[in-house]
Amino acid sequence: MGKILWVDLSKQSFQIKPLDKNIIRDFIGGRGSGVKILYDHLKKGTDPFSEKNLLIFATGPLTGTPVPMSGRFSAITLSPLTKTILDSNCGGNFGLQLKHAGFDMLVIEGKAKKIIYLAITPDNIKFENAEDLKGKTTIETRNIIEKKEKKKGSVVTIGPAGENKVRFASAENDGRFLGRGGIGAVMGSKNLKAIYAKGDKKIKVADPKSLEFFIYESRKWLKANPITSTGLPKFGTAVLMNIVHEAGILPINNFKSNQFASASDLSGEEVTEKLFIKKRACYRCPVACGRITKTSSKQGEGPEFETLWSLGALLGINDISWVAETGYLCNELGLDTISAGSTIACAMEMEEKGFISVGLKFGKKENIHKVLKDIAFRENIGNEMAEGSLLFSRKFGTGNESISVKGLELPAYDPRSAHGMALAYVTSNRGGCHLRAYMIAPELLGIPKKIDRFSDNGKAGLVAVMQDSAAASDSLIICRFASFAISDEYFSRLLSAVTGEDISTMNFRLIGERIFNLERLFNLREGFSFKDDNLPSRLILENLNKKRKINIDKMLNEYYRFRGWDDNGVPTSKKLEMLGLK
Amino acid sequence: MSLLKEFSRIGRDLFLSGLVSSHGGNISIRAGDKIIITRRGSMLAHLNKEDLIETGLYKDDSGIIMASTEIIVHRAIYFNTSALAIVHSHPPAAIALSLFMDEIIPIDSEASYLLHKIPVIATKETIGSKDVANIIPDYLQEYKIVMLRGHGAFSIGDILEEAYMLHSTLENACRIIAYGKIFGNAFKEYRKDGDKYTKW
Ligand code: SF4
Repeated sequence: MGKILWVDLSKQSFQIKPLDKNIIRDFIGGRGSGVKILYDHLKKGTDPFSEKNLLIFATGPLTGTPVPMSGRFSAITLSPLTKTILDSNCGGNFGLQLKHAGFDMLVIEGKAKKIIYLAITPDNIKFENAEDLKGKTTIETRNIIEKKEKKKGSVVTIGPAGENKVRFASAENDGRFLGRGGIGAVMGSKNLKAIYAKGDKKIKVADPKSLEFFIYESRKWLKANPITSTGLPKFGTAVLMNIVHEAGILPINNFKSNQFASASDLSGEEVTEKLFIKKRACYRCPVACGRITKTSSKQGEGPEFETLWSLGALLGINDISWVAETGYLCNELGLDTISAGSTIACAMEMEEKGFISVGLKFGKKENIHKVLKDIAFRENIGNEMAEGSLLFSRKFGTGNESISVKGLELPAYDPRSAHGMALAYVTSNRGGCHLRAYMIAPELLGIPKKIDRFSDNGKAGLVAVMQDSAAASDSLIICRFASFAISDEYFSRLLSAVTGEDISTMNFRLIGERIFNLERLFNLREGFSFKDDNLPSRLILENLNKKRKINIDKMLNEYYRFRGWDDNGVPTSKKLEMLGLK
Repeated sequence: MSLLKEFSRIGRDLFLSGLVSSHGGNISIRAGDKIIITRRGSMLAHLNKEDLIETGLYKDDSGIIMASTEIIVHRAIYFNTSALAIVHSHPPAAIALSLFMDEIIPIDSEASYLLHKIPVIATKETIGSKDVANIIPDYLQEYKIVMLRGHGAFSIGDILEEAYMLHSTLENACRIIAYGKIFGNAFKEYRKDGDKYTKW
C-alpha cells in the first residue's frame, strides 16, 4: 500500500495517509495521482499564493527500480503564472529519496510563519528554521542544508526568485530543475525554502524476472537508436540546435524571425568543444544528457538546448560563454530560463516600440544580468517583469509582445514551421509547452514516422494521442526522451512487471486520456474556455516561411471532436463516463 | 544524376524487388569526411531530400539524431574498408537460409561468378549493434556482401548501384537454393571445382 506524507505548514504538523488504491489503478502515480489529488482537494478560484494551494511532490511506480530513465519525479500545483493546473518533472534524486523514506507522495498545504525547511527521513519529519537562508541562492541553500543534515540525501531548494514569488520561479534539485510555471514561487509563498529527503527503505517490484527482460529489451533500443546512444550523450539536448534552426523552426528576436546566421555558435557541438567538463545523468540513466560546463570564470549546470535558445538565439545573442553564464545566473536565482529569456525578449520588443526604457536591445548583452537580478529580487522594472511576460506586456505594451499561450511563454519551436506543434501549444493544459505532445518528433525528427510539418491535416488525432501517452508516461514516471527509442508498449509492460497488474498498452493510453481530461476539467473549473486555446496573433497572422499558414480553428475543431469534447472544448458527459470521471 | 535521384532509384528498386519492407533497410555513400545516409525510419521507395542525412564520418555532429539506426555499422565499414557505398537490406530468402547455415554457397551461375560464398555471422543484438559493427568490417575485407543471421545483408561497393546489385544477386541465389531443396534430389554439379567454393 502506497503512502502519502501530508504536511500542514501552518500547523507544523503532518499525517501519514494511505494512497487510495483506486488512484493508483486509475492514475498510476506521478503526474496522474498528483492531478487527481489536486482536483479533489482544491476549491475553485483558490489563489495560487494562498495557504490553501497544495504543492504535491509525487514519485511513480518505476521510481527507485532499475528501469533506465526512471529516476525523475513530479511536482503538481495550481500555477501562479498561468492559473492553470501545473505539473513539472525533474531529474534530481529527491523522488528517489522520498520513496526510500517510505513515501510515494508528499502533499504540502498551509504556510509557515517564518522561513523554514522541511526534513524528511523514515522516522522523523522536521520543520527547521531557515531564516538564515533568506536571500541565498539555490546552490548555497543546498550546500548549507547538506552540511546540516550530515547524511547525503537530496534537497529541493528555491532561490531569491522563489522567495519573492516571481511567477516563473523554478526550484532546484541536485542540479536539475522544476522549471516551468512557478513551482518555486509556490514554495516561496509557503515560506518553504527547501525540502530535504533521505531514506534507506527497499523498493520492491512484483515480478523481477519479467522486469529484467523488459529492461533488457528497452536497453537494446536505447543502445541502437542514434539519438539516445550518441546524439544526446555526446552533445546533450543542444544537439537539436542546428537541426531545428536549419528547418526554420528556431524562433529568433522574440519570434520575429527564424533566421539567425550565428545559430551554430550555440550548437551542441560548440557546447562540447568550448564548455564541456562532464556529463550528468539522472538516476540510472544510460543516456546522461545533462552537462556540467565551465566558462573562463564560472562553472555550472547546462546550458540545455532551451536555455541556449531563450537566453541566446531568441535575444539575437550568439556568445555561448555568456549564454552559459546567464543560464548559471538564472539557476542560482531560481528562475525558469525559458520564461526569463522570453520575458527579456518581450521587453526588448517593447523597448523597440518605445513602450519602456530599460536599456534592453536585441543582439546586445548589456543590462540583461542586472534585469534578471531585478526580476529575482522584484526591484525596479524587474518587479513588473516578475509577473510574467503576458501581464507585463498587457500593462506596458499591447499585450502582443508576449509570445505565450495561457501565460506560459513558448519554448524553442516556432509553430509556423511545425503546425502540429501549434495545436499542441494551444491545447496543452499547463499553457504553451512542448512536452505535453512533442510534435517535433514526427514533424522534424521522423519519430515514429515523418509527417508533413506544414500541413494541418491529421494533426488533431496525433496530438491527442501523444498528449495521452505523455500524461501516462509522466505518471509512470519515465523521461520523455525515452520515447525517442521506446514506445508505449514497453512502458505498459514495465508498469505491469513492477505492479503485478496486467496493464495493456491501450489501457495505459486510456489512463493518460483520463489524466488529460481531468486536467482539462480542472482548467474549465478555474474559468478557462475554448477562447484560451489560442496562439499569439503574430503566429497566426505573420507568415515567415511563405508556406501554408496555420489554420488553428480547423485543427482545434477536429481536435475537440477527436477528444469527444463539445464545440466549446468541454468534455461531453459520454466521454467523462467512459473515462470514469463522472 | 543527382544524389537524391540515385538514392531514390536504388531505394525504390530495393523495395519493389522485396529486399526491404516498407520502412526497412538503409543505404549510404561516403563523401570525403562525411557520410550521406538515409534517415532513420525513412521509406526507401519514397525518398525525398529530407531523407538524405549528412553527418560526420569520423566525428559525430547533430545530424546523427536523424541518421539511420545502422549508422554505427556503416561507419565501422567505411573506417575499415575502402567502400564508397553501402547497402543494407532484409532479403527474405537469404534471411531464411541464414537461420540454417553458417555460410551460403550459391548454386546458380550468376551468383557463383559474382559471390562464390556469402559468410553468415551471428550476434545476439542485431540492430544498431556495436557487436555487428565490430565483426562485419573484417568480413567485408574479404567478401563484398555478408549475411547477419536472422537480420539481413550488408554489402559494399564503389558505387551505390554495385552495392545494390549484390543484394539482388544474393536473394536470387538463395531462392534458387530453396527451390532446389523442393526438388529434393542431389544437386548436379556443373562447375569446375564447385565443391571448393566453401574455401572461397
Ligand atoms: S535522458 Fe537526460 S533528462 Fe532523461 S533521464 Fe536521462 S539524463 Fe535525465
